[in-house]
Amino acid sequence: MQSWLGRLALSLVLASAPYLQAAGKEIVIGVAGPHTGANAPFGLQLWKGAELAAQQINEAGGVDGRKLRLVKADDACVPAQAKSVANKLVNTDAVNAVIGHFCSSSTIPAASVYRESDVLMITPASTNPRVTEDENYKTKDCSALTDAKKKESCELGNYSPIMRMCGRDDQQGVEAAEFIATKLKAKRIAVIHDKDTYGQGLADAMRAHLKTIGLEPVLYEGLTRGEKDFNALVTKIKATKADAVYFGGLHSEAGPLLKQMREQGLKSAFISGDGIVSNDFVSAAGGEQFVSGVYMTFGADPRKFPEGKKVVETFRKTGYEPEGYTLYSYAAVQAIVAAIKGSGDDRDGHKLSKWLVENGVNTVMGQAKWNPKGDLLKSGYVMYVWDQKGKYAEVGQL
Amino acid sequence: MAKTRLIQRILAALGAGIIAFILVGPIMGLKIEGYDFVANWTSPLTLAAFVCIARLVLGYVPLDRIRHSHSDTAPRQTKRSPVQVAALGVLLVVLAASLPFFASKYWISVSIIALIYVLLGLGLNIVVGLAGLLDLGFVGFYAVGAYGYALGFKYFGLGFWGALPTGALMAGLFGAILGFPVLRMHGDYLAIVTLGFGEIIRLILNNWLDVTGGPNGLDAPPPTFFGWEFKRAATQGGVPFHEVFNLDYSPQVLDSFVYLVLLAAVVITIYAVMRLRRMPVGRAWEALREDEIACRSLGLNHVTIKLSAFMMGASIGGVAGVFFAAYQGFVSPVSFSFFESALVLAIVVLGGMGSLTGVVLSALFLTMMPEFLREFADYRILVFGFAMVLIMLWKPRGLVQMRRPYFGLRGN
Amino acid sequence: MDFYVLGQQLVNGLVLGATYGLVAVGYTMVYGIIGMINFAHGEIYMLSAYLTAIGVSVLSYWGFGSPWALIALTLLFAMAITSLYGVVIERLAYRPLRGSNRLAPLISAIGVSLILQNYVQLSQGARNQGVPTLIDGALRFGDQEHFFQITYMQVVIIVVAFISMLGLNLIVRYTTLGRACRAVQQDREMAQILGIHADRIIAAVFAMGAAMAAVAGVLITLNYGSFDFFVGFITGIKAFTAAVLGGIGSLPGAMLGGVLLGLAESLFSGFVNSDYKDVFAFGLLVAILIFRPSGLLGKPIVEKV
Repeated sequence: MQSWLGRLALSLVLASAPYLQAAGKEIVIGVAGPHTGANAPFGLQLWKGAELAAQQINEAGGVDGRKLRLVKADDACVPAQAKSVANKLVNTDAVNAVIGHFCSSSTIPAASVYRESDVLMITPASTNPRVTEDENYKTKDCSALTDAKKKESCELGNYSPIMRMCGRDDQQGVEAAEFIATKLKAKRIAVIHDKDTYGQGLADAMRAHLKTIGLEPVLYEGLTRGEKDFNALVTKIKATKADAVYFGGLHSEAGPLLKQMREQGLKSAFISGDGIVSNDFVSAAGGEQFVSGVYMTFGADPRKFPEGKKVVETFRKTGYEPEGYTLYSYAAVQAIVAAIKGSGDDRDGHKLSKWLVENGVNTVMGQAKWNPKGDLLKSGYVMYVWDQKGKYAEVGQL
Repeated sequence: MAKTRLIQRILAALGAGIIAFILVGPIMGLKIEGYDFVANWTSPLTLAAFVCIARLVLGYVPLDRIRHSHSDTAPRQTKRSPVQVAALGVLLVVLAASLPFFASKYWISVSIIALIYVLLGLGLNIVVGLAGLLDLGFVGFYAVGAYGYALGFKYFGLGFWGALPTGALMAGLFGAILGFPVLRMHGDYLAIVTLGFGEIIRLILNNWLDVTGGPNGLDAPPPTFFGWEFKRAATQGGVPFHEVFNLDYSPQVLDSFVYLVLLAAVVITIYAVMRLRRMPVGRAWEALREDEIACRSLGLNHVTIKLSAFMMGASIGGVAGVFFAAYQGFVSPVSFSFFESALVLAIVVLGGMGSLTGVVLSALFLTMMPEFLREFADYRILVFGFAMVLIMLWKPRGLVQMRRPYFGLRGN
Repeated sequence: MDFYVLGQQLVNGLVLGATYGLVAVGYTMVYGIIGMINFAHGEIYMLSAYLTAIGVSVLSYWGFGSPWALIALTLLFAMAITSLYGVVIERLAYRPLRGSNRLAPLISAIGVSLILQNYVQLSQGARNQGVPTLIDGALRFGDQEHFFQITYMQVVIIVVAFISMLGLNLIVRYTTLGRACRAVQQDREMAQILGIHADRIIAAVFAMGAAMAAVAGVLITLNYGSFDFFVGFITGIKAFTAAVLGGIGSLPGAMLGGVLLGLAESLFSGFVNSDYKDVFAFGLLVAILIFRPSGLLGKPIVEKV
């Protein structure tokens, strides 16, 4: 008798457990990026954006009563670590979705983990085309399938759980190449990169587009991340008499490279991508006098969008300037929350992705719409220029 | 008498505190913000006070006696009944093999990494522990194995099972090519040359963009088993495992499979090394380590003996590399930095050079510890560094003393 | 080949080499005296980079305006603190291991290097830091179009490096401390019997090596203006290569090795390919060790039987 009662009670508890979990459980979002290491400032941007978004959503009652909880995951921009933290997020922390990673070289291996486990990942910053274009996961043709169920699951599979809140390097490189050729009217262009997925991808896009407008770079060379002495390279650039130098890479190398160029008396224009969007670029370059006049491509400043005005003010009140990718990360949280609310599913990356693609989201950065591959439909890259005070502004708005 | 000693101790403690404050004061107390600084003296003062107290307390602990209680004696000779050893071994292997059936995926992946380091430790143990050749570039052979698999797959369609022997062979060959010119060198010079070679291999992988993909790395396919694939959809022309058995797809199966194969490789390696140590070549390695000149005068060919140790170690490193690539799914040069060489060397030395048990234990310890320390988050590498130093101070010969097999006379 | 480009590359190489040489001194002295590769030495260099930024900002806060005073005082400050670091590290992590297993201090040094890196990262943050440019301007050779130049900061580096190397050489050669160092290096036991406090001498060697690394750290940081907690590793390995190249254990060898390595790197990356400059540097190292195992200026090891 007793054992029978006990069994009944046990089975009741077991049966109700999933429902209990689904109703009261919090929604866990992983924030993956370089929280340590040389790129930690970018990790901080991702974290700050996600943190405020989660806080504001929780204060407004959460997602249908469920609270958001963020988990920090550090990949230090090291590909091997990225894969291991991705595994940890999926398996140990059982996240509902992931924001991150930052460096494309980390995002690509980590994305394969999320794909395998059907977890939605939205990267606010990884711009390399390969992030959303995985060779192993091509779009399948589902029209031949007759079984309705199979067809549905096949079509669902074509909505990639890997999405981004930012543009792509091929768009960014094109923008920069056009600017160099038409606005700067440069003829001799040196293209330098840091051999990393992001930096080299940018440099390759630049070179490819230069070719289509009939220009061949006078120099195409890589430097090593982590080094500080680029004098030999600078002398080499100088010898090519380049009138514009394009650098694909991050601020920690862009700074010293720029400083050494100027110190060796090389006055050519310096153009780079969104990897130098940080105030640390100024100190890495040895002072405001060196960064003055540097051009860079970056998405239209999200701080200026009317939708984000209130959020930007809240950030500034806490003494934090939402620079770089902060608002991108905020918007990514908004997208995840909207998808979970709208689709009624909280785990399946394909379903969330399908909802996002079909509906789009209004974020602090305006309306975001995606294609099924996970790329944003419009990505407004704009050219910025640094001034003598170590601040940047859109070209033509100084 | 007692009083003056107390005063001395207090003075020493104060001195230690002051020194600690001078050391950490600027770095911890003055935080750089742009070109300015922010002063905050609480943490350096706390640390200095802590050092002060610690010095006072440690003054009463007979540190020297703790440190030297484990005297550095010659390797012990042991004889255990083979039945006992075999039984213990089988029990451990069965226990380890049952892990995938109850552990979470996270712990399986941690165990895979740990076992890869066990393999690396076993390989380097032959070179450093048994043959006494200090090798600081061991990671090069690891890289050769890993990239051998990834490149072989990319250009020749090499599969996992083909890559295991190929990787071992290639790494062994590299060992021979690199080893031959440098093996006439001694001690630290050998160490430096191997360090140079290890760095060269990594730099070439990092820079030869057209072939190796540079810092972006290469994809390496996950292992298959007689045409069964462990992914959701077959990508290598096989059949997905879960469809064959009509199971729900679970990404855990792949990791469990890698884990079991890796465990088998580790067991085979341990057995092989145990046998090798009893064979003439193994004895020659140890003899050469102890006294090279004596060996040569007895007619042992030191070059072939050293080379055999070097190649044997390198092959094991290569196998570890293949497993690493297959498990990670891709390879990139950052995984093969000098730090990895140092870590593997630390495994061998901490475990007690030459001791198989020690190497296995310290590899498990060093790779698992950072995972347990995840609670400490940011401090875990710091704690890890302290552990390395403290263990060395406590037991400079490593955690487990090397044992030599010996053959008892009958009736002994 | 353009003469001015060649000239510029030689200047680049010389400056780079001088700094390698300064760091290499620490490796070579420690190896000479206790036969140990001090892997934590690169981290001392990294510490001095942080001390530079701290020194410069605190001193300018106190109102020191002249760049020369700033440089000199920062140098002294960084040298003092890093030598203390050298001594304390030796006392705590290496001295207890003296006379035991040859690899134990090596592992301990790797541990120390991890500790230092993470201690700095935790207390100063992981981000890339910078120092303001103190000295502008350059000496130019040639006309407006074609010239090569050496900035004043680079002149300072070469001059200070030369003076400190000369000073160190004089100390080792002519002072009582230097004689004691050499005595301990040649035969520690005999030196002890003659009344030399070997432990103190070894501590002094660590202090001197660390101070030299600090000189390099301050000058390089002021020159490049940018650093992070990871700079010690790359510089450490390069300097170590330089020390071996020149013949480990030999002071002039360290400087020579540094300059050669710097020149080789900058000429190779300037005229061949900057991607493979490190491969070339390490290849050079391996080749020299194979054909001349004791380095350029080192004494060959005679095997005692």
